[in-house]
Amino acid sequence: MEMDDFCRVLLNVAVYAPIFGSVCVSAMFPFFGNRSAKAVGVAAAGLSFASAVFIWAAYASEFSSSGGFAFATSPEFFGVALPCLALNAVSVPMFALAAVVGLAASLWAARTEIGNARLYFILLMFMQGGLLGAFSTTNVMWMYMFHEFALVPTFIAMCLWGGAGKRMAAMQMAVYLTLGALVSLVGIIALYARTNSDDFSLLSIALAVAKTPLGADWQYAVFGLLMFGLGTLVSLFPFYSWAPRAYSSAPTSFAMLHAGVLKKFGLYVLIQVAVPLLSAGCADWSKTMAVLALFNVVYIGLVTMAQRDLKMMVSYSSVAHMGLCFLGIASMSVLGVGGAILLMFGHGASVALMFMLSNAVVNRTGQWDMLKMGGLYKRTPVLAAFFLAATLAGLGLPGFANFWGELAILVSLWNFSPAICAVASTGLVISAVYGLRAMANIFMGEPTEGLSGKFNLIPDMTFGEKIPAAILLALLLFVGFFPKSVTAGLDADLSAVPTLTQSK
Amino acid sequence: MYFQLNAVLFLPLLSAIVIALFLRRSRWGGAAVSVVSAGAAFGIALWAMFSESPAFAFKSSYELLKLGGFTLDFGFLFDGLSRNMVFIVCFVGFLIHVFSVGYMDDDSSKSRFFAGMSFFMFSMTGIALSSNLFMMFIFWELVGFSSYALIAHYSDTEEARAASKKAFIVNRVGDLGFLLGIIFCYSWLGTTDFSELARIFHEDPSKVSTSMGLLVLCGFLGKSAQFPLQVWLPDAMAGPTPVSALIHAATMVAAGVFMMARLASIGFLSEDALSAITALCALMAFFAGLWALGQNDIKKILAYSTLAHLGLMGVGIGLGYDLAMYHLTTHAFFKATLFLAAGSVIHACGHQQDIFKLGGLFKKMPITSAAALVATLSIIAIPYFSGYYSKEAILAASYGRSVDGAIFDKIIFWLVMGAAVLTPVYMGRLFFNVFCGKPHSDGAARARESSLWMTLPLAVLALYSLAGAWSFAYGLLWMDGKMNFLMPSAATTFIGSVWEIHRSALLKIPDVHAIKNAAFIATLAGAVFSYILYGRSRGYDLVERRLPGVYRFFNKHGWFDDLYDWYVAKVQQRVATLLATFVDLLLIELLVVRGVGMVCAVIGQGFKRMHDASANSEIKWLVAGFALLMILIYA
Repeated sequence: MEMDDFCRVLLNVAVYAPIFGSVCVSAMFPFFGNRSAKAVGVAAAGLSFASAVFIWAAYASEFSSSGGFAFATSPEFFGVALPCLALNAVSVPMFALAAVVGLAASLWAARTEIGNARLYFILLMFMQGGLLGAFSTTNVMWMYMFHEFALVPTFIAMCLWGGAGKRMAAMQMAVYLTLGALVSLVGIIALYARTNSDDFSLLSIALAVAKTPLGADWQYAVFGLLMFGLGTLVSLFPFYSWAPRAYSSAPTSFAMLHAGVLKKFGLYVLIQVAVPLLSAGCADWSKTMAVLALFNVVYIGLVTMAQRDLKMMVSYSSVAHMGLCFLGIASMSVLGVGGAILLMFGHGASVALMFMLSNAVVNRTGQWDMLKMGGLYKRTPVLAAFFLAATLAGLGLPGFANFWGELAILVSLWNFSPAICAVASTGLVISAVYGLRAMANIFMGEPTEGLSGKFNLIPDMTFGEKIPAAILLALLLFVGFFPKSVTAGLDADLSAVPTLTQSK
Repeated sequence: MYFQLNAVLFLPLLSAIVIALFLRRSRWGGAAVSVVSAGAAFGIALWAMFSESPAFAFKSSYELLKLGGFTLDFGFLFDGLSRNMVFIVCFVGFLIHVFSVGYMDDDSSKSRFFAGMSFFMFSMTGIALSSNLFMMFIFWELVGFSSYALIAHYSDTEEARAASKKAFIVNRVGDLGFLLGIIFCYSWLGTTDFSELARIFHEDPSKVSTSMGLLVLCGFLGKSAQFPLQVWLPDAMAGPTPVSALIHAATMVAAGVFMMARLASIGFLSEDALSAITALCALMAFFAGLWALGQNDIKKILAYSTLAHLGLMGVGIGLGYDLAMYHLTTHAFFKATLFLAAGSVIHACGHQQDIFKLGGLFKKMPITSAAALVATLSIIAIPYFSGYYSKEAILAASYGRSVDGAIFDKIIFWLVMGAAVLTPVYMGRLFFNVFCGKPHSDGAARARESSLWMTLPLAVLALYSLAGAWSFAYGLLWMDGKMNFLMPSAATTFIGSVWEIHRSALLKIPDVHAIKNAAFIATLAGAVFSYILYGRSRGYDLVERRLPGVYRFFNKHGWFDDLYDWYVAKVQQRVATLLATFVDLLLIELLVVRGVGMVCAVIGQGFKRMHDASANSEIKWLVAGFALLMILIYA
């Protein structure tokens, strides 16, 4: 049991190290320069990363066959009870993803020129702490709170360091996401109030639901609130229009963390809270959810094809991919939901990598328009290789984590409805079209006239840029080759959820 | 055995990783590692084949993923069929690796090329060894990627840029159907394991489903470039010539045929599905032969010839899967030889690929020319050359079908016959113009025989083009029966076992000898016709000068590319742009989102007006509030 205790400590370290770092730097503002703030940020992210990876490994080795919550810890801080933290097989991958993307984002930010890096890192660390907390707490109210902790720094960072159109984008995103979070908060409170649960912890609510099941009407209403509220956070059609603009104007590290990790929070809560507790509600809404999600896959997919701006294309593609995750949940099967988790994981790493590399491309060419680039391969073979890898991961090539997610979701969808499965699978072709078109436009062919002047001065990726990219790519390949590292405990955990095992 | 198969599969992957990580800038390191890995994989594959009696079958499984009731096995199935394919892939692959050392000597990114080749060997071996459809699909996608990466090798050229993308996307379209077919199969039968499926279909033939077969067929149409997904293959010639030889002629495009043979052998395909394959492929076999006459690029002619021969293999699947594998095997030898000979010529003539600019190379490049001659005789099916045996078998079987068959079978037979006659015409056109007469460009005039790196693999492959089929035709066992003439016995058991029965059936067909003789005479007539038209090596195409309309018909290859280009530019892209501008920007972003924002702003402005903090409005609010309170209390 020593191992478990050690993991409990690590769990707290992972969540609170970035928050502590952020508080430290802001409390002792005058004592920190940009360089030292960067160092603290990277160190905190590294600490979280090491802890999270260790916990992932420990969970995979100890609980792979049983699943369930592990490493539960309710720490106190000078007499104040901090939220209870624990991880199950659903949250472990998301927790690990948050830590890995967090490290990559910090490393990336540490190697780039940023005005007022001190403040940047204060916000970034706070966001990381919020993310890690959101995926590790078992208290539903705290999930919401941690989510807000992670969300607020994004708004601020967008307003301070954002690109073109940042004010409108930040405003739109703030309104959308706050509204979405509020709607889901109403759902959470309704769940708590109707079940007469002792508190907001998942366990108490689950026990209360087991004692007095919610009526069908309430299930329908609460699941609807959660689905649309959380759906807005994940850019479910038609509540997506905040995402492309926000991501393309957000500073890179925040875009990576938001699109890669924070956005998955809505799906995570659906899977962790709504689906197990609101079985009948889920069944009532599943068709609607599936149809809306198909719009994400096909309609947004086509919109993505029409984009010429590189960052807009990446942003839209991330909206499109979320459709498949929703489809996995809508299929109401262990395979579908497991696939959704795998895809959330894979997409989180690949889209973060993609944002990072797009930023590298844009920095080098001074262009957003892909049609005005071209031939970059000759100057930047390493960047091209990474970009190709991220593109291939995005279009679901075997060997990357995303493939397993897409495959599992499509297989599960066939039993749900072959027609929906067939329509959803067109996403495979659509994502290949825009992904490879971008690759061809940016890296192949001859450089365009706009580039000709500075083309020979464009440098390849620096060592500092390669490291975070390599970390993310390694993660994608690792899970791509060993999907059981994510699914082993997941199978047991999801099989224990009655919603997912009822035969239809 | 498990160890050997893993070694055969993963050694090339290891080589690709080592090259990509450590030997990126190395001049010859990448080539050395890649060639050694291909050679080692070939050696270990032979070891695996020799270590058991020829007819063994090995099966293994390793659970890669388990979720709910779904499990995905990473399993090997090493039976006669996969041994046949593994032998071709490893043997031809190794020779082409050696050839590439010579061909790519002046290339600045050799390491990337060899890493791609190694990765291809990994993924292709994976297809051959797969024990279930899901695993096959995984490697299916990976060969698609290797093909993409290698076509894109000359990434700064416009052709490579367009062709690589096109190859991947067109293949993805086919794979979409393939994947749905696999999922259908899994959902319906609960397994995609080949031996399990064989048992299910054997016990209950009514479980065979045509729609399932047709969905899986889409995968074949994409990978083996058959109607209507053939457009990517001719463009794929933008890649380096060894790539065209290995991937786009000998092995990857044949993977579709291999997959169909695998499925046909376990009874997966219904009669209707088989008829669909036969019809599509017979059309391809004939028309690709015609279209080859409209090409001037030596590699494109060979690409259309590949399309035609893949079509013949597809017809073979409909007639009996052993015929398809038979032709696949001989085709791998002679088409690889032809492509490598073309590569040798292109390399020697300063990357000149227009056959009317070449000429007179027989004297300058005797080894290359001799190899090309052998392969040409093999492809046009001259008796005793290996191509003859497999092509003749398909022709005879198709004739057997048509004797008492419906009109459909008769049409198929005449299409196959037409394809057989067209082969000598377009191959003659190529051979006479490139090797006979006199040079028509400076490059061709300066040509010299290629280095040993290139001529040695050519010579070996030419030998197989001549005698590769003798194993099946005559059964010449040696080395205690471990070898069957030029091939390991273990790699010949699949074709051999079925072919024995098939051949005796073919011999019973009435007038089959007359048909064989007629086909041979027609082939000779085609060759003579070709000599009359093209034999003088004029430096231009007689048909193009005299009959431009006919030439244009050949050249446009059925206007498929024009149609697809029109669709992509005028339909798909316009719809996408329309959605992006009108629906996404105008309707949702501007009208709805900004509209709601505007409404909120207007309402907010209204409220703001009412709270202008003057005494006047304060009193109004006070009175209104008081009134509301009274109403609430008393109502």
